[in-house]
Amino acid sequence: MATLSEPAAGTHLTPPSRRGPIRLTRDGFGEITGRWRLVRYLVAADLKRTHADTALGQAWWLLDPILQMLVYYFLFAVIFQRKTEDFLLFLFAAILPWKWFSTTVNAAMNSVVGRQGLIRQVQFPKIVLPTAATVAETFSFAIGLIALAILFIPYHERLSIWVLTIPLIAAVQLVFSLAVAIVLAAANAFYRDVANVMGHLLRLLFYVSPALYALWEVPNEDLQKLMMLNPFTILLTAYRTVTWGTETVDHGTRPDFLALGILLAVSMILVVLAVALFKRVEPAFARIL
Amino acid sequence: MSEQPAARPIAVDVRGLGIHYDLRLTRRTTIKGSLVGLLRRNRNAPTHFWALRHLDLKMYHGEAIGLIGPNGAGKSTLLLALAGILEPSEGTIAIDGRVSTLLTLGAGFDQELTGRDNITLAGAFLAIEHDEMDRLTPSIIEFADIGAFIDAPVKTYSMGMKARLGFSIATAITPDILLLDEVLGTGDQVFRTRSQARVRELINRARVVVLVTHDLSYVTEFCGRAILMEKGQIIHDGDPAETVDLYRRRVRESKLLAEVDAERFAKPPAPKPAAQ
Repeated sequence: MATLSEPAAGTHLTPPSRRGPIRLTRDGFGEITGRWRLVRYLVAADLKRTHADTALGQAWWLLDPILQMLVYYFLFAVIFQRKTEDFLLFLFAAILPWKWFSTTVNAAMNSVVGRQGLIRQVQFPKIVLPTAATVAETFSFAIGLIALAILFIPYHERLSIWVLTIPLIAAVQLVFSLAVAIVLAAANAFYRDVANVMGHLLRLLFYVSPALYALWEVPNEDLQKLMMLNPFTILLTAYRTVTWGTETVDHGTRPDFLALGILLAVSMILVVLAVALFKRVEPAFARIL
Repeated sequence: MSEQPAARPIAVDVRGLGIHYDLRLTRRTTIKGSLVGLLRRNRNAPTHFWALRHLDLKMYHGEAIGLIGPNGAGKSTLLLALAGILEPSEGTIAIDGRVSTLLTLGAGFDQELTGRDNITLAGAFLAIEHDEMDRLTPSIIEFADIGAFIDAPVKTYSMGMKARLGFSIATAITPDILLLDEVLGTGDQVFRTRSQARVRELINRARVVVLVTHDLSYVTEFCGRAILMEKGQIIHDGDPAETVDLYRRRVRESKLLAEVDAERFAKPPAPKPAAQ
């Protein structure tokens, strides 16, 4: 009878004892680092899949951002007769990182829902899914930077040492994107409407961010201050400042490090909250998908 | 085959297990649906559904257990809980050893990737070490026996090919606790014979095998113990032949009851609604 009362060693599955947010966050980060090989494979799978069926294949990594830039260039430089100097560079410096964010959001929203078959089959930490989606989109952004480098051939007089701070700005954006990605991946699993709503919200966010225009062109100064609350005002302005310049400087110059620092701190808090939230609702995925 | 199970070490110990689904989340998957639900909420409508409740179950080393019962009895939910995919809503599950994954064959494949890539990805999802996976991959490919298709995207596969690859991956590692959900009837006759041989082999090597199936002949053939479930409860637990007999009797009885009910409701002016 001794064997009967002996507790079995190994896995113990207990009801979700209301784990605190700190514990949830620690678990979540532990899963991301502990299952990094899975994240890597998922990223590789994502990269392989994208453009896999197209004739031009990998060339689309470069063609996509360039064509998008040309569309806006045609609209503003040709139709609206906009007179901004070196307008192609002005546009591309902001559109490239914006595209990174919007594709990350879309990929993240599909990351959990798209693996529902697997979620009901295998026990694995679901947080790797939005993480891998975010990392995969970072690769396509990095490839887009090659297009930016090419653009500096005609605009070489604007090139400065500050262009080397792009990875720093990108790091801030990555942290912010990861927080958004994790939250939306979970939200879309519960309500598919999230993807529809986000399509419109992203478009709105794009137009209220200084991508097609610059912050100093906004006529109302109060409105300018209000716009600084938008993370993408800070980010896109920073990218543009280090590549194209500012209203007064016609080459790459020092970005607003204070604003970037504040955004980084806020984004880190957001990631912690996002991971805690994700871990909190994760057990429900297998039931609702 | 297990005359005195108490003498063997326990491999799975389930105590007071309950699993419920939140119907508010599973029924409606849109915000609109939830808002509409809030407006005209029927206070008496059940919000929770207990797929399993107050379930106590011990499994011992060396057992092959057949799990039978009608649809919706909670068999698959129990397997999902044992696999760790569903968290218990109440009660505990203690498991000694590595539990296999569940296989609803091929449902988890990435359609755009090749079979080979899917094998690698599956290994990472199952947390199998890279070296072990490298070692297993040739035998997985060999057993799946889908030829040159292994390097084609999975979306080009037939249902049978997906099932074969899925079965081959899921049974490549020998788990301590093997969970099988309706897998013995897949593929063509040749593959069916081979897969049954493989399941037999796994049953011999694994500590515990739990087999969910509607084909009752498998239960008497493969299992040394059978559990009959109905409405989230264990109705009977014991000898396979006995349990299968009981299940067959109950199915006949409920069919008879349904016929009686159908007759009663067929006549519209029933004097009284049937009180339960």
